Formats: sequence, C-alpha cells, structure tokens
Amino acid sequence: MKLFSVTLVVNGRAVTLRVEARQSLADALRGELGLTGTHLGCEHGVCGACTVLLDGEPVRGCLLLAVQTEGTEVTTIEGISPPAGLNELQESFRRHHALQCGYCTPGMVLSLHALLARDPTADEEAIREAISGNLCRCTGYLPILQAALHVAQSNRLKRADTSSTQSSA
Amino acid sequence: MIGARLVRVEDERFLRGEGRFVADISLPFMTEAFVLRSPHAHARISRIDIGPALALDGVQAVVTAADLPARLPPIPCRIPTHGNMEPFLQPVLCRDVARYVGEPVAVVVASNRAMAEDGAERIAIDWQPLPAVADAIAGLKPDAPAVHDAGNVASRWGFDLGNVETALSEAAVTVRQTFGIQRHTAMPLETRGLLAVYDGARRMLEVHGPTKVPHTNHALLARMLQVSTAEIRFIEPDVGGSFGARGEFYPEDFLIPWLALRLRKPVRWIEDRLEHFAAINHSRESRFEVTAAADAEGRLTAFDVKLVADLGAYIRTHGDVVPSHAAASFPGPYRVRNYRVAAVAALSNKTPSGTVRAPGMFEANFARERAVDMLADKLGIDPAEIRRRNLIRREEMPWRVGTESVRRPIIFDSGDFSFVFERAVSEFDRTALPRSASGTIRRGRGICALVEPSAFGAFESARVEVDGEGFVHVVTGATSQGQGHETSLAQVAAAVLEVPIDRIRVRHGDTGLIRFGGGTYASRAAVMAGNAVHAAAVAVKAKALRTAAQKLEVAEEDVRLADGRFELAGTPEVNITFAAIARLLAPGNAELLQSPTVANIADNDGLTASCHIRGVPSGTSVFAVHLAEVAVDVETGQVAVERYLVAADVGRAINPRIVEGQLIGGVVQGLGGTLLEEIVYDAEGQLQTGTFADYLLPSVHDAPAITAMVIEHALSPSNPLGVKGVGEVGTSGAAAAIGNAVARALGVPAAINALPLTPERVIAATCAGPVP
Ligand code: FES
Ligand code: FES
Repeated sequence: MKLFSVTLVVNGRAVTLRVEARQSLADALRGELGLTGTHLGCEHGVCGACTVLLDGEPVRGCLLLAVQTEGTEVTTIEGISPPAGLNELQESFRRHHALQCGYCTPGMVLSLHALLARDPTADEEAIREAISGNLCRCTGYLPILQAALHVAQSNRLKRADTSSTQSSA
Repeated sequence: MIGARLVRVEDERFLRGEGRFVADISLPFMTEAFVLRSPHAHARISRIDIGPALALDGVQAVVTAADLPARLPPIPCRIPTHGNMEPFLQPVLCRDVARYVGEPVAVVVASNRAMAEDGAERIAIDWQPLPAVADAIAGLKPDAPAVHDAGNVASRWGFDLGNVETALSEAAVTVRQTFGIQRHTAMPLETRGLLAVYDGARRMLEVHGPTKVPHTNHALLARMLQVSTAEIRFIEPDVGGSFGARGEFYPEDFLIPWLALRLRKPVRWIEDRLEHFAAINHSRESRFEVTAAADAEGRLTAFDVKLVADLGAYIRTHGDVVPSHAAASFPGPYRVRNYRVAAVAALSNKTPSGTVRAPGMFEANFARERAVDMLADKLGIDPAEIRRRNLIRREEMPWRVGTESVRRPIIFDSGDFSFVFERAVSEFDRTALPRSASGTIRRGRGICALVEPSAFGAFESARVEVDGEGFVHVVTGATSQGQGHETSLAQVAAAVLEVPIDRIRVRHGDTGLIRFGGGTYASRAAVMAGNAVHAAAVAVKAKALRTAAQKLEVAEEDVRLADGRFELAGTPEVNITFAAIARLLAPGNAELLQSPTVANIADNDGLTASCHIRGVPSGTSVFAVHLAEVAVDVETGQVAVERYLVAADVGRAINPRIVEGQLIGGVVQGLGGTLLEEIVYDAEGQLQTGTFADYLLPSVHDAPAITAMVIEHALSPSNPLGVKGVGEVGTSGAAAAIGNAVARALGVPAAINALPLTPERVIAATCAGPVP
C-alpha cells in the first residue's frame, strides 16, 4: 500500500505522518499519534464524536482524509486541555453534569470551545446551533446547554467588569 | 455523603479526552478482526470458499462454522422463559442457513482492519435465498415461511386474573384499540468492541471490552471454551453507553477470544455503525390489542390484552423477557383486579432482540395510558382525574399484581402514588406558560402514570478495603456504562467510613478483582451494588472499631470514629487512624507477630470485608409521573415537545444530580423512541436503516425543557439504604405522555396508536382515522 507523507501542526507541534490515501484524519490522529480522545461514533459524518478543530473551525475527523490536512493546524481535545485539571468550559461541564458515558464529550467540548472562541457571550440559540451536529445519547443535552451558557454568562460578566473598570478609569 | 450533589470523580478523564474505551487500547502485534455477515434475510449456504481471502497479503486467519470446536453449543438464554427456547438459540456462526441480515458467517483476521475487510470481500459464498418472514405477525399465518424448523412461535403464555368477562359485560364504557410499537434500539454512541489477548505459556486469556454482566459472560465463555475460569479475565474499559443492549453474550463474545486463543495473538474487533445496526439486540417491536373498561365513575374495571412481540430470528440471552415484563406489568399503577393477557413471542427474519432501557415497559405504558385516556374521553373525565381515581393507595402496599415475570412475582414494595401524582401535576400546572392554538399549531398536554419494577437479579458482591496509606478501595461486581458508579458507590463508602471522597477508589467490571458479580441492568446498580458496598463498608468499620479498641485497650463502646481516626470518647489524643489499623491488620505485620496480644486480633487478614447481598425477587418499584406539552403543526405533521416534567419517587437518592441526569437523559431517549427512531426492514427482510441519516436520534434541537423532580418519599423496604432503581423511569413513560399529548392536541383520542409519531402518521391522524 502506497504511503503518503503529510506535514501538519497538531496541538501546537509540527508532525509528519505517513498515511495511506484512504486513512481518515481521525484514524491518523488516533492510530499514528495516539490521540485517542477523538472518538468515532458513526464514521459517516453524522454524530460529531470525531470533531476536531481544523485551523480553529470544527470539522469531522472521520470525513476528512489525513492527506487533505497538509499544512493545516489541527487541535484535538488533548490540545485544549490544560497540563493538569480542566479548563473553564470543561470545568463547567463537570459542574453541570453535562456528561455521562463521556463518549460524545470531546466532540461537544471542541464544538463549544470553537463557538466561545468566536463568540464568547454566545446565546442559547447559538449554543444549540453549535452542537446541533453533535449527538449525545446519555445526557438529554440540557446539562450541556447549561454548561455552555454558564461560561457565556461568566464571559459576559467579565466583559461588563472590564468595561466598567475602563469607564471608571 | 449520601444525598450530596457531588460532581463526578470520573468526569475529569473524559473531559480531557483520557477516557479509555476499548478501541483506544492497542497491543504489540495486535491483529484486527472483521465479521462477514449475511446479506440475506433468509438463505441457505451451499458453498463457502475462503481460499482467495486466505491468499491475500496480511490476512492471518479466516474461520467459518466448519472451524468451530465440535459440540460447541449455541449461545444459551440466561433468564427463565415461558417456553423451551433450545430450538431457537443462535449459533456463533451460521452453518447452513442464515436467518437475518447481519448474521455472522465468517471472521477474517488480518494485520489491520482494512486488510481484514479486503479479505472478507474475497470470500465467495453461494447463497440460495429462501422466502423470508419480514413481519412476525404475518409469520403467524399457517402458510407463512418457517424461520426455524420448530416454527415461528417461541412461546405463548398468559394470565387471567379476577373475572374479565363479567367486568367487561358490566362496564359503563369500554374501549378497544390496537397499538403498535416499532422496532428500535439502544444505540449507544460507542459501538461494541473487544480486544482479546492470550498468553499461551501462562494459559491466560484477557478480554477487554466486556461490560454489563462480565461475571456471567466470563463463566459462559469458560464453559464454551472448556477452560478454567481461572484462565480468563474480563476487564471492563470505559464504555460509551449501553442502555441495556450492549454487554450481553453475542456471537463475537465467543469468536474474538476464541480467535485470540487459536492465533496466540491479540485480536481486536471494533464494530462499525452499519454493523451495529444489524448486530446489536433490537427491541420493543410489538402489538397490543387492548380492551379497557371502566364504570360510570371512571373506576377502571378491566384490562384485556393480546400481545404479540416480534423477537427476530433467534432467541438470544434474554429469551422472551421483554414481552414477559410487558404482560406482567401491564396494569401499571392502577387498582385493577380483572386482568387478562395472552402473549406470543414470535420470530421473524430480522435481527434478534433483547432488552433496551425500560424493556416491555415503554411499550406497555404507551398502550395502557393511551387506552386510559380514551376511556377518560368517553366518560368526559379529565385525564388527570381518571388516574387520580384509580391509583393504588398507600395502605394497599405492598401491592401484588398477581402476575409474574421470569419466575418473579410482580409486587410493588412501597409507594404513596397519590402524593407523587399531586406534586407532579401541581408543579406542571404552576409552571405552565400561557399558550394556545395559533395558525396551524395545535397544543396539547399528555400524562402518564407508571410503576417501574427495578433492581432485579439474585445478588451483588462488593469488597471494601482500607490500605496502609488510608486509601479505601471499593471493588464492585457491577459495571458502569456512564451512570457514574465511581462516584455514587464512593459516596456510599464515604458515608459509612467518614473518609473524603478523594481517598476512595472504585473499581468495577473486572473479574480479576472480584470473584462474583451480578452486573448492571434493570436499574439495579444503585440498589444492589450500593447496598453491597454499604454492607461491606459497615463490616470494615466494625472490624476497624474492634481492632482499635483492642489496640487502645479500651472498650469498643468507648471508641468513636471521627476525622478518619478512631479515638477514645472524651480523650481524642488517644487514637488510631484507619491507615494504622490497616497496617496492624495486615498479615505478617511485625507488631502483631511480636505482640503478645496477637491472639486478640485473630482476623489479621487486612482491613477488608467482602459482602454478597441477596436481591429481593420482586426488586424495588418506582412510581413515576410523566407530563408532556406538545405543539403539533397540522400542516407539516411536526411534533415539538415544548415542556416536559418527570417526577419519580426514588426512595433515597445517593446523588440527586446523577439521578436527575438519569431522568432527563432517559426522557430524551424515550422521546427519540416516540417521535424519531425506527429500524426499518423492507418486505424481503432487508435492513433499510444502517446509518444515523436514516435512523434519527434526538439532537439538541429535539430536547425540550425538562423538569426532573426527584422525590424521596417512600423508602424501599427491600434494602437498608431504601433506594430504588431509577435508570429506566425517564424513558418508560415518554411515549405514553407524548402520545397522549399529541392525541389531545389533535382532538382525535383514538388516532394515535402507532409509533413513532412521524409527520406522516400525525397528518393521517389529523384526517381522523387510525393509520397503519
Ligand atoms: S464519527 Fe465522525 S461524525 Fe460520527
Ligand atoms: S455522554 Fe454518553 S453520549 Fe454523551
């Protein structure tokens, strides 16, 4: 089987992968780099468990071929997790019991991470839209919405804080 | 600790992407298996040629039924049934005749999955298609093709309680309706998978991937392989959901370990989604013909039910338990003493079936609660009122339904149904938003009252151990597929031993760590594993107390547990920590060996206790009320659930946050089964739904606002903690509540009788008549 060389940045580090043409990005991340936080739920682009960020935007790791990612920057759940513990969004998931089996969780967190990076004070509608392509079979979604809304709300407060500090200055 | 809304200890690893699911595990020299499955619903195999597959580079083995050990039995049924299931059991690979699309025919093992698939493509099979039974009810006709030589009926049974004929003839009103529940299933987000590795020199077979009932399956695999149970270890990894379907003994649960043994190489098999659709247990497909009667005051006087369940092509591990539960529990929370049911478990050329969250109950609740609403309508009584008038009363507990399922009587152990009912109804009223019909939108409210029998199974085991550093190990025979047992069981141990939760480690699903285990099914883990851990922790505490008293040379009554140490009451400086006691009790402890008091501490086998607790045959019974408000667009047929409330008397909640999560998640799963999910076959028995694009799961857009009322009112008398199993009640009443709401919205009481409530069915219902 012919192997292709692909060079990209994964979680901030340049890597060169040797992959078959038919290998998906998700398989390459999991199999070649051991980044098993990217999950496969359907392998046909519906469930969102394989969501990763490609140049900051959520994409389906199961639909993208590894060979298509030459020169891109890929971020996985491992890439947005702090060296120890949880980031603010992850912590909010935990506080709101927004996961049960945890299988959909990395994809959910990445979709919302991308949304909140773009729109830190996203409203419920935007949050629903952001995870409309991420299936969760366990939680019934409501706790996930609450987890994301909580972060958006605290961003709103932080923003109000900064602007009031600025105006008082 | 019991009752605390703790955040879960397992969350961090999942949130960081550090969960370890079976597909995340790989081993040096690992091979991968692909299961070749029948493309036909019913066909005879006249020839299989595996030669070309074996010749392919990278392919290491190809096996068919011809390679299986001689006298290998089919997969047995693990539950009592209503008939002899032997003729209908499934072999691990089909030999002559394939009976459903997806039946395993051969397994190819290769260096990687893609090569195994390439190999499978080269297996040549001559198939002779046979006529198929695509619908079990059609299969009951005398001229229907036979799924098995023994016919198309696995079992027939029934109950006839009270006097149904008299009640029907004396009734003020009766309704008669046939309800159809569609085939659907659990659909966990992670597909199944196994990784088996055999160390031939040490005669040790390790299997990663089992869940739900690993101890049961471990013993079965040993029997099928004819090896000692000591030569096999099952290890449960993190598991991406089960909801009842995953973790039973499937053909692959023999094939993959057996191949690892044969090849002496690690063999991994990870199911893909299409395969999952064809291979996992399906469930729920059934038809209920219901006659229900009431007197002029709206007192329910009789239920007369004919039930046919389509169990698919083989009888699997669960036998006929799904229709069995439905038949036994049909009367629900009502004081109805005249009840008759005639049930048939029928076969068809479709994937075999098993249990899925609220097995039989989701179906029975839908049929019964729709019929009760139809009676209310005829009598001109409000749906809440008719239920109010019929609920079993507190003083009538324990209530014996008079039926049994899997040889266990259906008894409701406790409950104050009216109390829970009124709280649920008034809360839903209180939070109502002023909304009404507008344009093409019709609104309606639906209600369902139910009792969920739960926490079945003979026993559960637990071991609690304190180590020399003061850490507490909890080993349970139960398993976890996302429910949060690592937290809730830690809470139980923490409550008894008064140690912080971060000093406790809970291990589950590993036959190498605990000799016996029941497992996780029938909403039993909190009840059975919770109480087993409780009993073991109490025993550890008693042992520690005894040892502390001896060491401190004081009376046991004068020793108190405080802040993780045992101290002399009133003289806290005289104390000994848990860790020190554990060290003292370790066999070979120097102090004990030298100590003249050695004779006083006879049980120096570590600070540990194992407990095996017996289950109560009838389990625990949770009363629940579901209320749904829907908006139906009569032009598009779209149903939107706008507001939902589920109230359940859980006895005692170990962690209310986890209980709420079970209820809310359960409701959305039930909503999927009500509005969206359906496994479709065509008339030839070809599977039509093989992707999430054809089989729709609820997405975030389908999730309504849900209020989960966790009520702790009637403690279960069956167990010291008083807890009741709550994993299934969220799902159990969803079709009933939503179905009733849609029928109300449309003003067609009789027209909502087939699930799922697709736009086509809803539009047909608006045109009044029932639809197929
Ligand atoms: S695995 Fe990629 S969308 Fe499901
Ligand atoms: S937490 Fe299990 S699928 Fe979302």
